[in-house]
Amino acid sequence: MTIYNLYIFDRNCSCLYYKEWTRQKEAGIPREEEFKLMYGMIFSLKSLISRLSIISAKEGLVGYTASNYKLHYFETPTGFKFVMNTDTSVGNVQDVLRHIYARIFVEYVVRNPVARPGEHVDSELFAAKLDDYIQDLSFK
Amino acid sequence: MSRQGRPQDTRKVSGELFSLTYGALVAQLVRDYEKDEEVNQQLDKMGYNIGVRLIEDFFARSQQGRCHDFAQAADVLTKVGFKMFLGVVPTVANWSAKGDEFSLILDQNPLVDFVELPETHQGLLYSNIICGVIRGALEMVQLEVKVWFVQDQLRGSDSTEIRVKFLKKLEDAVPAGED
Amino acid sequence: MSVTTVQAETSQCLFEFLHMEIVSQLQQEAGPDKKGEVQQRLESLGHRVGESLVERTSRDHPRFKNELDAVVFMCKQFWVTAFNKNIDNLKTNHQDTYVLHDNAFRLLQHLSEGNQYREEAQTYLSFACGLLTGALSNVGIKCQVTAEVTKMPACTFQVKVLL
Repeated sequence: MTIYNLYIFDRNCSCLYYKEWTRQKEAGIPREEEFKLMYGMIFSLKSLISRLSIISAKEGLVGYTASNYKLHYFETPTGFKFVMNTDTSVGNVQDVLRHIYARIFVEYVVRNPVARPGEHVDSELFAAKLDDYIQDLSFK
Repeated sequence: MSRQGRPQDTRKVSGELFSLTYGALVAQLVRDYEKDEEVNQQLDKMGYNIGVRLIEDFFARSQQGRCHDFAQAADVLTKVGFKMFLGVVPTVANWSAKGDEFSLILDQNPLVDFVELPETHQGLLYSNIICGVIRGALEMVQLEVKVWFVQDQLRGSDSTEIRVKFLKKLEDAVPAGED
Repeated sequence: MSVTTVQAETSQCLFEFLHMEIVSQLQQEAGPDKKGEVQQRLESLGHRVGESLVERTSRDHPRFKNELDAVVFMCKQFWVTAFNKNIDNLKTNHQDTYVLHDNAFRLLQHLSEGNQYREEAQTYLSFACGLLTGALSNVGIKCQVTAEVTKMPACTFQVKVLL
């Protein structure tokens, strides 16, 4: 599987972390704008999904598939949002995103005494652990 | 309270650093502040900051999703949350008619093993940190609540009772331009 | 993971969050550039806790034969009760100094595995220094403990016995 990039947002619209591993095309707008666009798009999609839902569904957005990439979405009950773009061969990666949250984000950001809630993630250990995990996955 | 004849409780042994540290903290705060009420407030504030992070650890360890209503939140809080971190399951009781308030009754409070309140500090809510933790944790799942002690066994009451009142549901921040 | 290990881990986690908040409050109260003061307060707190914790931990343990016996106990049973792991290495000059190596100190594990946060890390060693001085003083060994980060998350605690 090829993993392109990952965004982590908190429930206050802030992008706490962004990392890309492969990217062929830039969005053509400054990073900050791109984060806002991504967050806004997710927000709208979630809203549309719940309004247009045919059956009452517990879960909302899981992701979408475009012709040449797939977007995967995972949200914690506390409003942390994990958005990952991959190639179209990738199936359901809820467990991957959940692992990133539970085993990497919580371990090295939430449990990091120096990292404060709401701040951008600067921990090198977090970045390294995430990288290791993603590299590992990419070879499967 | 005699603890003889009970099999070695591993939780008690492994949780001792936490409860002893908490005890030392309370003792220090009592020395630092003049009034019991100030200590209570400080404990609540610290609890809030802890709760805000603890809830993430909770979701990382358990498979819980979002709660649909306040009653479910009470259930998860006691049967999963309290159980996970303090090893006890408080009873949920005394629901208000509107369903917006309930009590947590604790038969056992792991924070207070071996603790006795001195005569001069009867106004101290030794375990007030719990109230702050609940408040902080629930705020992260968008429930604004008021949490307070109704009764405390340490102060001579029959049971330890914490009251939780639902104030309002917090909405997600709306991104600019999405109204 | 066994049930007891899970319980031990969540208790450890609770302690870490409490400790984190205590440090944060002390830092806020002391203000900027008052690291020494914060560390001292943490050490005093740790000292009181160490005194009580050693009592509970050594309840069923026979009397310590000598100083080394007591220090070894701190490295094993005491450290395990506190941090769910033991000290990885103990060195002594057989006079008045012991050096305890923890290769993965619990309070540093979520910080870094390199050079980041090295400066901030020092404050997270103070409480444990106090634990040791408190515990040892309660078994009759008066000492001074200084800690140093070697390579995150490893650190050493140097115990100097006072006469």
